[in-house]
Amino acid sequence: MKSINTLLSIAALSIAGLCLLVSNPALSYVQSPYLDERVNAGELESVDKRLPATPLTMGADMNNTHPGQHGGKLRMLMGKDKDIRRMVVFGYSRLVGYNDNLELVSDIVESYENVDNKVFTFNLRPGHKWSDGAPFTSEDFKFYWEDIANNEDLMPFGAPKSLQIDGEVPTVEFPDALTVIYRWTNPNPYFLAELAAPSPLFIYQPKHYLTQFHANYTDRAALDTAAQRRGSQNWAGGFLKKARQYKLTNPDLPSLQPWVITTKQPAELYVFKRNPYFHRVDANGLQLPYIDEVLMNIASSSLIPAKTGSGETDLQGHYLRLDNFTFLKAGESRNDYKVKLWSTVNGAHKALFPNLNSNDAVWRQLVRDVRFRRALSMGVDRAEINQVIYHGLANESSNTVLPACDLHEEDLQHAYATYDLSAANALLDEIGLTDRNNRGIRIRADGKPLEIIIHSAGESTEETDILELVHDSWLKLGIKIYTKPSQREVFRERVFSGGAMMSIWSGLENAMPTADMSPHELAPTSQNQYQWPKWGQHFETKGVSGEAPQLAGAQELFELNEAWKKSTDHAEKRGIWSAMLKTYCEEVYSIGIVNTVPQPIVVNTKLRNVPEKGVYSWSPTAYFGVYHPDVFWFEQ
Amino acid sequence: MLIYTLKRLLTMIPTLVIISMLVFVIIQLPPGDYLETYIAELQSQGESVDEDKIAFLRAEYGLDRPMYEQYWVWASGLLVGDYGYSFEYNLPVSEVIGNRMFLTIIISVLTIIFTWAVAFPIGIYSATHQYSWGDYGLSFIGFIGLATPNFLLALVMLYLANVYFGTSLGGLMDPQYIDKPWSWAKFKSVLEHLWIPIIVIGTSGTAAMIRRIRANLLDELQKQYVTTARAKGMEEGKLVRKYPLRMAMNFFISDIGSLLPSVISGAELTAIVLSLPTTGPMMLAALQSQDMFLAGSFLMFLATLTVIGVLISDLLLVLIDPRIRLQAAVNS
Repeated sequence: MKSINTLLSIAALSIAGLCLLVSNPALSYVQSPYLDERVNAGELESVDKRLPATPLTMGADMNNTHPGQHGGKLRMLMGKDKDIRRMVVFGYSRLVGYNDNLELVSDIVESYENVDNKVFTFNLRPGHKWSDGAPFTSEDFKFYWEDIANNEDLMPFGAPKSLQIDGEVPTVEFPDALTVIYRWTNPNPYFLAELAAPSPLFIYQPKHYLTQFHANYTDRAALDTAAQRRGSQNWAGGFLKKARQYKLTNPDLPSLQPWVITTKQPAELYVFKRNPYFHRVDANGLQLPYIDEVLMNIASSSLIPAKTGSGETDLQGHYLRLDNFTFLKAGESRNDYKVKLWSTVNGAHKALFPNLNSNDAVWRQLVRDVRFRRALSMGVDRAEINQVIYHGLANESSNTVLPACDLHEEDLQHAYATYDLSAANALLDEIGLTDRNNRGIRIRADGKPLEIIIHSAGESTEETDILELVHDSWLKLGIKIYTKPSQREVFRERVFSGGAMMSIWSGLENAMPTADMSPHELAPTSQNQYQWPKWGQHFETKGVSGEAPQLAGAQELFELNEAWKKSTDHAEKRGIWSAMLKTYCEEVYSIGIVNTVPQPIVVNTKLRNVPEKGVYSWSPTAYFGVYHPDVFWFEQ
Repeated sequence: MLIYTLKRLLTMIPTLVIISMLVFVIIQLPPGDYLETYIAELQSQGESVDEDKIAFLRAEYGLDRPMYEQYWVWASGLLVGDYGYSFEYNLPVSEVIGNRMFLTIIISVLTIIFTWAVAFPIGIYSATHQYSWGDYGLSFIGFIGLATPNFLLALVMLYLANVYFGTSLGGLMDPQYIDKPWSWAKFKSVLEHLWIPIIVIGTSGTAAMIRRIRANLLDELQKQYVTTARAKGMEEGKLVRKYPLRMAMNFFISDIGSLLPSVISGAELTAIVLSLPTTGPMMLAALQSQDMFLAGSFLMFLATLTVIGVLISDLLLVLIDPRIRLQAAVNS
């Protein structure tokens, strides 16, 4: 009986649908009933006029998504007011963006052309509109480039770093309303990646809205006084507060994202409503997003797993950890949700970073000896840590790319990353650390016992638990460790200044790279690389502070990274990546412990198109971003 | 009396100035500033930071100036009612705090009423029935309330309310009512959530209050005027209410001094566990992220209320208790 009813209703629906198509041949796109009222009242144009002439059709190149239906409100939980910026990450509407196979495809732009990473041409969609209905054209790019990026008050230090290649800024041309061209003389391999980033570089700003706050268009003195009343120094501060497309502090700012914020900070509940001008449609011509509203409830982060377990969210990954898994699983039947296990994307969930820039001269010399680093790495019992802390669900590996990545090589994953005490002890003896004190601890060259203080940012007991296990196995090498948890800022300060001998932190941020993504994480390019903070600082400050890399391996990595920047050939880039990974792992610049630690994702049982397996991480997947939450829908 | 009040008012000024300096310096004592915390937080989540932008923000927020200059900007602003700017929220401090003040005051006032409603009858009963089973039993319950950590009690009650009554976890109302105009349904939802924080915060205060009422009342009950009144055949209930209870009230009035700030700040720990939209959790977050003007202004606000509260309770004591007034007369 039930099935007959369903059949009948499907038949009725399809007849109704056919009638609609027949009677209205011009109406090819379908809007959400949510907007019917506003369209009927004449507040909004019809959906055909709101969509660009050539909307982006989703689903063609995506894995396992099925056309859905409009409607519903998606509830999410976040820990702080500031977290509303995650909506720009989840929404993932970019000029060019990654799809779920991590290929770069055009999104907001209709098409783009990249000539040797030097000349980038973007063709906008005719008829594309901002969320307030104003046209989105090359004027908005021109406004950003001329009035923001090159304005001395707004950008006193010049255009953003990712637009500069060795100090060179691009020449930007705007031949017509729909075309924008960026031109560099040297290749800029970062440009497209920055546009596709989770926190993207916004090279366009809604000119029609922002000119009222800009001193080139509006009276400067009046803007200055207005800004000073709101706690800024001058108009520039006031302008930037209005123009934050990422932080969403201004609900009036027009947007190109699938959902637009409607709540002003501070609040407990942030409501994001569908963008009536959003440029994507599904295979059946339904305008996306399917879901009408996203409700983001701010709750204290420690309560979020509990709230999730009581079914107060429809889609949740943030603030859930693997140790919540059993609790969440227990609530599944009571509260109509499913727990999926996605994976994380760090090269190592936790890794040890021996500080090659330590102030302790004897230690520095020791730790710069590759045999010592290898011995330390082989002295870590990864299998035990995996079983004790991660229920055996993680992957024991050095700090390298993940097995699911194209660039992965099996032997690098295990390079000096298998538990082998005798080999490790032999290496330590070979270095000359043969003397031991009465407790069996090896003696350093200066007569002190070989004791290592490992700094931890101390936010979770996870790190101290791992170090407890490392302590036991390294003791068998004759090395004693102490854990020193401190506040995050203090921790960083100690590492940067060389006060820390070794630290524990997460490994490579993006361990699912393609050869076209920058390999800079493997080379000394940033102070935040805790094994060589001073070498990284040297690069970041263009040699003003810090020290030049002194180890051959690090220099090699540095040069390979420079070579990658200049390369325009895919095969060559791939070769560079392989060489860098090989050096990085074999020189053991960081001691990875485990990676691909599962991330629980809680999904309402009615929510469709959320992949069973996915990668939940900032970069490159922008958390849910590359899986496109605008195609998630509620089955009624 | 007038001169006394004036004197007290004048001493408030240096007190508050010193407090403001202490507050400002202590908030800034941890290494780094708000932006350092901000960078560390961004980087721990994988986001990258443009050093130029940070330098721009540092100038924009005035964090590049020496500490005494920052203090001066802040303190002179306070005098004219400008509480400064919250970096975390990108809003003036008054807007950030104002938003949460209403619900904070409601919870605190209700909690105080709850505490009184429970503690007074029990305190009087256990004093008049000293060493009886009732005294022991009620004191025992009171002590359990005092001894159970608030956050634990809060979690247990949250869980039970969720499982048995289907109340959403934490917060002060079901999510669908947030930011909606007041209605009967919303009011009911608030009531459903409100009893948990009130009981949790209340229980700890209740025990202490019971003990103080009991001790003060016991002192008075043994005095001769009570025996005299009883000998003259005064009815017991009226006797206790009219004489010893009033004499035992001094501690209660001197409590007003500390009551006033607690009305505004709410119980921080419990509020964090219960995810209440009150000022407590906000203040803790501000201290952690060194959002110094938000934290500083809020602490100053509390300090001012404490100073005023102490003044009020001192003046009230003088008015109510003739013994205190006599002391003042002798001194002058």
